[in-house]
This record gives sequence, structure tokens and C-alpha cells, in this order.
Amino acid sequence: MPRVDRAPPSPRTVVVSGLGAVTPFGWDTSSTWNGLRSGKTAIGPFDRFDHSGYRTHVAAQVDLAHAAPRPRGKPARISLADRYAVCAAREALSQAGLGGGDWTRRAGVFFGSSTGGMLENERYFEALLAAEGGPKRRLPPMSILAPQQYNAPGDAVARALGIGGPVQTVSAACASGAMAIGDALRAVRSGEVDTAIAGGSDSLCRLTYAGFNALRSVDERPCRPFRKDRAGLSIGEGAGVIVLEPLERVLARGARPLALAAGEAATCDAFHMTAPHPQGAGAAEAIRAALVDAQLDPGDIDFVNAHGTGTPLNDLAECEALASVFGERARQLPVTSTKSLVGHLLGSAGAVEAVATVLCLIAGEVHPMPAEGESDPAIGVQLVLGSPVKLERARHALSTSLAFGGANAALIFSRPPRRNDRDAD
Amino acid sequence: MRIETVVTGLGTIGPYGFGREALAKALASGKPVASEVDRGTGWHREGGSRLAALIRERDLSRWIPPAAARRMSFPSKLAVAAGKMALPDAGIETVATEGGRVGVYLATAFGPVHNTEKLLRQIFLEGAEAAQPFYFSECVANTPAAQLAIAVGARGPNVTIVQRESGPLLAVGRGAQAVREGRVDRALAGAVEEIPPLLHALLGRFGALAHEEEKLAENPRPFDRRRNGILAGEGASLLVLEREDAALARGARILARVKWSGGAFDATAGVTDWGEGHDALAGALRAGLQTAGGIAGVSAVVSGASGAKRGDLLEARVLKAVWGDLPLPPVMTPKAVTGEYGGGTLAAGLLALEGAALAPLPEPPEIDPEIGFAQHRGAAPENRARVLLTGLASGGAAAWLLLERAS
Repeated sequence: MPRVDRAPPSPRTVVVSGLGAVTPFGWDTSSTWNGLRSGKTAIGPFDRFDHSGYRTHVAAQVDLAHAAPRPRGKPARISLADRYAVCAAREALSQAGLGGGDWTRRAGVFFGSSTGGMLENERYFEALLAAEGGPKRRLPPMSILAPQQYNAPGDAVARALGIGGPVQTVSAACASGAMAIGDALRAVRSGEVDTAIAGGSDSLCRLTYAGFNALRSVDERPCRPFRKDRAGLSIGEGAGVIVLEPLERVLARGARPLALAAGEAATCDAFHMTAPHPQGAGAAEAIRAALVDAQLDPGDIDFVNAHGTGTPLNDLAECEALASVFGERARQLPVTSTKSLVGHLLGSAGAVEAVATVLCLIAGEVHPMPAEGESDPAIGVQLVLGSPVKLERARHALSTSLAFGGANAALIFSRPPRRNDRDAD
Repeated sequence: MRIETVVTGLGTIGPYGFGREALAKALASGKPVASEVDRGTGWHREGGSRLAALIRERDLSRWIPPAAARRMSFPSKLAVAAGKMALPDAGIETVATEGGRVGVYLATAFGPVHNTEKLLRQIFLEGAEAAQPFYFSECVANTPAAQLAIAVGARGPNVTIVQRESGPLLAVGRGAQAVREGRVDRALAGAVEEIPPLLHALLGRFGALAHEEEKLAENPRPFDRRRNGILAGEGASLLVLEREDAALARGARILARVKWSGGAFDATAGVTDWGEGHDALAGALRAGLQTAGGIAGVSAVVSGASGAKRGDLLEARVLKAVWGDLPLPPVMTPKAVTGEYGGGTLAAGLLALEGAALAPLPEPPEIDPEIGFAQHRGAAPENRARVLLTGLASGGAAAWLLLERAS
């Protein structure tokens, strides 16, 4: 088993005290967890926009008919991605037991998004193009367009919660959410903030749907990560938010730490804009560095929530990375892909998968992927298929995010020690 | 012992040209480096802004081979060129051999927005199947940072921060933190921006841009009573960050120490505006500066003030609240020259430590009674030990960076 050098101990133990999610399974973590446990994919026909002229016709969309109430603000200034973000953040705060008080002054927001309010931008742009061909200057109001930037979901969360500390949005494509959580972990550890609201949000839009189709990266059927007949990803939408705090603060107010945010790391392949390093070298380095950061050895990891997009090259490269870090044990390590159920949430994927990873640790089981698809002998990992796998003694879990442009991020979460862990060990 | 992060190299490209000397010359002239925008899109408002701080010299072949350049958006080219300019400025030939210990921290407000526009035009006018893969792969916000990593072999963290006007200072702050915490040995940190014609037209329609008014020429006038908007700007500036002991060991020239960086949020701000939460922002800035020795050592402020009516007012109120009864140090406003592009402020902050003059517009200032002071004219102060850089973003985010001169 390869080992890694240990880093010096961290000054502050950081824990997850709240979780929030908006996914194609529903507007909270409860419905999301039920959906994940079912192993039945939410990817299918969708109607967020007219996709009749596109090559593929499936995605995973959030059900707006059962939406949470809109946050305050002029409707045109709240994008769908903003709504997902604020809803998930409110749920996470509620679970953390953070209501009134002056905690917001020393709190920061660390968010990820790849397209922000692009869906709404597109509506404006479509109207602009239509006007170009006719009698000009009849444009929709600028108020629709102007707020829809990459940073809008994170700003919306900060505004809704009255945050007073640093607010930062990372846009590193599919690793945005995971990187944001990594930055949040550093900020809490270092004492820059006492509370970090961390996560990501993205909505479906034509730019990414057409763009990934142009790259021939989208499967015509719901994606089948790590399966032999995999043919690409499926795009989804939603938001994931976690609350990070120092352990002592959570215990002091009588709240329950849900998990330890044990380690994080990020690397870059510096290899190709759209293709992963074939041996997953950058991904492996990110995992190794996260293990160092968490003070863990590869043998300590009990399961992996993989990036697992379903594209032939990415899944293979990711398995190479896992084999490189975990050696022979990679073949027995349970691996799941949340994307197989909710699609690829792009800038929020890493955040929703972090939420899923913590939910798995809490439940003591790994959520499955759909059982459909053929097994691929080239994929040397133990896939969790069809139904959840019980791992009641699971202590440490890895979540990986591997993005466009070669950006990689790895997060490690650990279950807080239980009374009977001594016996288990 | 505290580990210090230092700046050892600067690469900058902008409407002023290539490199620090070109920027210093532009700043000394005090004139905005503005030129006429192509208004052929037809979307510019009658009587609106006609100018932007645009890069006219676009031959970057000194830094990027043509075969590589054809696969890059303009912001990607700018980032790669500025990064390749910064490394030799730091006395570093290559980082490829140590690439796993080199990170990239790059800010952008709009990303490669011209390619986004081209892709959307294809999707809406020609159909989704006409979408070109190149426009998609080179419209994503993190492509400039990724292209820079590929070009120089930087295999450490590759982080793109999108936080409007506060992004550049946040990016440098994160890069400095990564160096200080030992996650990377070196970081390339900075900002990149492009201003294509349609974006300029839309910013104008939104009322963000400086424009002619009666007998008043179109100019950004930070802090001035007559200010009526920003001068949109484009460019790229990259700093090389590393540990001070490592830099000294290799005999590097140290341009500045990163003494402190921090951020805060003004939740009273609207989604596209500045708020009125100057007291809270001032509290955060005061507390941050206190950890680095307080305001007494700050010899100049290199402000992100840009000519935005409410943005400049908020900035002034924050500074006045922090300094209280004490006199404010000279407040320099490089965006009066470089336009609203945060990389220009970053680079100008470094130059201010070196004593560069940052002259304002060649017209007498008119004090805004609500602000009570004018942008600093002339050379940086003699005693320029520490410079505070500020970046207050529309939408509420704020960031600050305290640089110290290395003696």
C-alpha cells in the first residue's frame, strides 16, 4: 500500500455542522438522500428550454412545481441558480442551528459556479438577437441581464444571510464547488472566519448543453459512469451547501457535528484543455495531497464518491488515479458516482457530491448507482450498483472533482468518533 | 517565525502596452489610455460612452507561438503572455520541473466573454448543432488560468476567482495564503479581462460607463464631484509570489511583501450596486490592518475607485471611517488611467511602492462634498513603506491587500 508523508497537525479541527441541497430529487437533503438511496436516476426528459434542435434530449432538472419560496428581491434579479443556492444555504444553516446572533460578522461565503445566471442571460441574448434582425432598440430591461454573473449565487447567499466576512466565488468549471469548500476549510482552519457557508450552484442552460454536445461529451441516454457502454455525461442542475465551523464552536452551542472536514487539495493536470491526463496523474496528486492534509493514509479511506462523469476518457483516467493512490486495494474500495443519479451539476457538482458523501457517512452506507450497463474490465474499482452498500464502520470518505482545463480537487470527510469506535478498531 | 510571502515578479499587458515601464509611463501621464470602441454592433446607446481602455497592440508572439495562440481566446493569450513575462521578471527561467509546487490564482469578472457571445450567436442563429467546440472550450471562465498552467507547466492548484472588482485582490490573497501555508512554493496570481464591443455596449446601457455630459469630456473621474461612470478596461497582470526565505536564497529581487489580505461583504448592496454598509466594511478593514501593525504604517492607498458614483462614495466613506480623525494618506486612483480592470490596480500598487507617479486627469479636480478629498496627484510619497490596495465590488464583496516595500 503506498503511503504518504504526514503534514503537521492543523491548528483547528473543522467540522460540518449543516447540510443543504437542491437537486433533481427535490428541494432539500431529505428528498435528495431518498433519491440517492433508491439508485434510480433522475436523468430523463426535460423542459427547461427547447432542445428540439439538439443532438441529445435528456438532462436532470429540478422540479420547479415544488419549488421553495423565492428569496426576497425583484423576481428578474433572482436567477434560478440564485434560488437553488439560497434555498440550500437556508437548509444548511437551519440544520447547523445558526439563527440569530452576530455570527454573521465573522462568517464568510465560499461558493462555486460555472455559469451563474447564464439561463437568464440567454433569454436576454435571444431577445437581443431577435431585435438585431428587425426594428432595433426594443430590448428587455437591463435589470434581467446585469445581475446574472458567475458570482451571483454566492452573493445572493451572502445577501440573504447578511454575511459580513469575505465572499468569494470560484469558477473552475466542474471542480468549482469542491474548490470552494476547500478554500472554506482553509479559511476556518486559519481563523480567517469562524463560520463558512460553502458550496455551489448552477442551473441548466443552453450554453453548456450545446457546448458539451459540440464536444460530443453528452450521452443520448442517462449517463452510465464506469460502465462499459458509457457514452458521455448527462447535465443536471442544483445546489449543495455545507456549513463549516471549528469543532469547539459547534459543541459549545450544543449542536451536532455531522462530519469532520478532514482534508482538501487541488492540482492541475497542465496537460490539455478538454482531455484528462491519461494516467490521471493530476487527480492522483490531488488525492495524495488531500490525504496528507487530512493526516490519513490511503488505507484509511473507506469509500469514494468519484467524479465519475460517464465519459470514456474521464472514467478511465480517474480509475488510473485511484489505482495509483490505493494500489491493489482500489479493486475492493467501494466507489459510487452521484452524477449517475442527478447528472453532472457542473459548478455545483463538487458541492452536491460533498453533501452526498457526508450523508453516506452519517447513514453508514454508500448510495448506489443505477444497475444498468455492462461491466467494463478496464475499470478496476468496486462499483456500488443497484442498492446501497452498508458500511456502518466507515470512518473516512474521499470525494473527487476533475474539471475542464485539468483542474482537480479532492475532499476528505470523516465521521466524528462514536462511543463504540474503540471496539470497532 | 512568521513565513512571509513576497512578490518577486510582475508581468503586465494593457492598453498602455507591455511591461511595467509602459504602465509607469501611462500612469505618469495621468491621461486615460482610452480609444474608440467599435460601435458596429449597433447596440451602443446614443450619447453614451464611446471609449474604453482597449489593447491595440495584439501581437503576443513573443510569448505565445502562433500554433498555440490559434487555440486560445484573447483572455487566455493575455494570461499566458503576462505569466510568461512575470517569470523572467522574477529571475525564473522555468517552473515546469517543479510544476507540482506552482499554483495559479487568477481573477476575472467576465471571463472570455467574446467567445461566449460567439457561441450563443451560433446556438440561436444557426442552431445548436452549429456550435463550435472551440468557442465552448474557450468561453469557460477558468480557461485563461488553465492555458497559463499548460503553457508554463504549473501543476499546483489552478483557481479562478470571479468576484467582480474585488477578484484580483482576492486572487493574490489566496495565492499568498497558499505560499505561506506551504501548499505551493510559488504562485502566479493576478487578473485578466477583455472588453469586446457588445459587452461595452451593454455596460453603457446599464449606465455604468463614463460618458460625455454637456461640456464635460468622457473621462473616468474617481472621487470627483463630476464623476459619471467607469472607463471599461482590459488587460492582464500576473505577480510571482514565493516565500521570502526561498527568494532570498536564490538571490531574487523582492518587489514587495504581502503583509495582509482580507475581505468582507456589504449585505446592504444591491445585486449590481454598492451599498451603504461602510461602517461594517470599515470595521473589517480596521481589524485586518490591526493584525499587520495598524494604519499608522500605511503610507498610501492605491484605490480601486473608478469613477462609479456610489462605488467611489462607499470607498471614501470606508477609508474615512478607518482613519477617523487621522489624516488620510495619499489616495491614488490608477483606474483613472488604466480603466476598470483590476490587474491595472495590482500592477500600479507595486509600482507605487517603487515610487512611480500616479498622476490623475490633467484637469483641476472638483471635490465631492460627500467625499471630501481628491485623488492624489504626483509622485508616490517619499516614505512609502506600505501601500494598501482596495477593491470594493458592486454586489457587496470587498477585498484589501497590504503590500510592504522590501528594504
